[in-house]
Amino acid sequence: MKKIDIKLTVNGEQHEMAVAPGERLLDVLRERLGLTGTKEGCGEGECGACTINMNGQAVLSCLMLAVQADGATILTIEGLQKGADLHPLQEAFIGESAVQCGYCTPGMIMASDALIRNNPSPTQGMIRDALANNICRCTGYDRPVKAVLKAASQMKERKNG
Amino acid sequence: MSERGYKMSIALKFEGYHRPANVDQAVKILTKYGNNAQVIAGGTDILPRRPGGNNAGNGKHLVDIVHMGLDYIREEKNGIYIAAAATINSIGAFPLFSQTPYLALSEALACHSTRTIRNRATIGGNLCNASPCADLALPLLVLGARLIVAGPEGNRQIPIQDFYVGTNLCALDSNEMLLEICIPFCEEKTGTSFLKLGRQQTVIDMALVNVATFLTMEGQCCVTVRIALGSVGPVPFRAKKAESMLTGKRPDKKTIQLAAEAAAEASAPLDDIRATAAYRKKMAVILVRQALENSVRRYQA
Repeated sequence: MKKIDIKLTVNGEQHEMAVAPGERLLDVLRERLGLTGTKEGCGEGECGACTINMNGQAVLSCLMLAVQADGATILTIEGLQKGADLHPLQEAFIGESAVQCGYCTPGMIMASDALIRNNPSPTQGMIRDALANNICRCTGYDRPVKAVLKAASQMKERKNG
Repeated sequence: MSERGYKMSIALKFEGYHRPANVDQAVKILTKYGNNAQVIAGGTDILPRRPGGNNAGNGKHLVDIVHMGLDYIREEKNGIYIAAAATINSIGAFPLFSQTPYLALSEALACHSTRTIRNRATIGGNLCNASPCADLALPLLVLGARLIVAGPEGNRQIPIQDFYVGTNLCALDSNEMLLEICIPFCEEKTGTSFLKLGRQQTVIDMALVNVATFLTMEGQCCVTVRIALGSVGPVPFRAKKAESMLTGKRPDKKTIQLAAEAAAEASAPLDDIRATAAYRKKMAVILVRQALENSVRRYQA
């Protein structure tokens, strides 16, 4: 089994490594780069805990091989905050008590971040559609949806103000 | 085991990874490895197969077709061509498909898994995985799509109704790959519809029953009627007898009901963990009826 050389830009940092054909992007992020904010839940695409942003779109890192991400620009939950300042989505999730055990939260926030990047004023329906692949087993969904609405309006205010 | 000795929670053991730059290279690799080759695009159907389960990819050589420019959707003289590695979301954003004749397709695209998965999942993967539940197979069956396939002797075309050979088995030879799908243009006045019954457990779960219908009329009577059913047999299929029961007839309540019953009668569903065969058959009647009613309404609108 031949290893393949790949290049990834993760949270602004460039990485080069040799990966096995079967190595998932999720495992590379967590185990090679130590970015354990991205979680593994089901490992088969149902739960969304492993959601990251790749080339501007939300994708599931458990359903991707690392070789398929060669050359990609990746953003994980660790790359969202600027210095000591949390991202508005992170603040809103805390403020709206949209976090309980927190295991699904990084995935929810990354899916929401991709949504807001593509649509700065999402409706509640769009948010529910964007979060349909993110399962929460404790808080539920109303609070995360409220948090995303709040973060989106705050981000617009800051941009305009 | 990864380099640092961690045990990866899913050990996917692919033998090799190949990234052809064009169709010739891809076909050469497929010819070399034969049944040990596995074409991969988005990977959302191949990668969830877990150890102990149906781990079809293990030991195989992956042939990644994502870097071959096969992500276009374009209108040509005789139809719309969708490349095999076009993602479901990119097809859903193609403006023509939001027009009435193609609503069955856009409805199926919107029902497929989730927005997040649709960023990676491709039309070619949905078709070539040859699941009896494949959502996109049904609108393509009623729209009369043709599949263009590349192999060592060049390209050949397969009408979609001949593409499904058995459960998870399509008409591709081991040295062939799907290149593109051609959807012929519809007349402006065409009514189509797609409906899917899910289990509502998780959104990515497969359909219990899915159907698509296509209908054109002249005056008060149906001219062309096409009905396709999925998840209720080994392959997605057209219900020809049910179609003929409507052809030349007025699509009144009774005729539609009889055709829907005939369509369900042509099905051969299984009992499984998702639903019983009997339930699937009953729901097939209802879904076909509703889809036909949608088609008539859309035709007349």
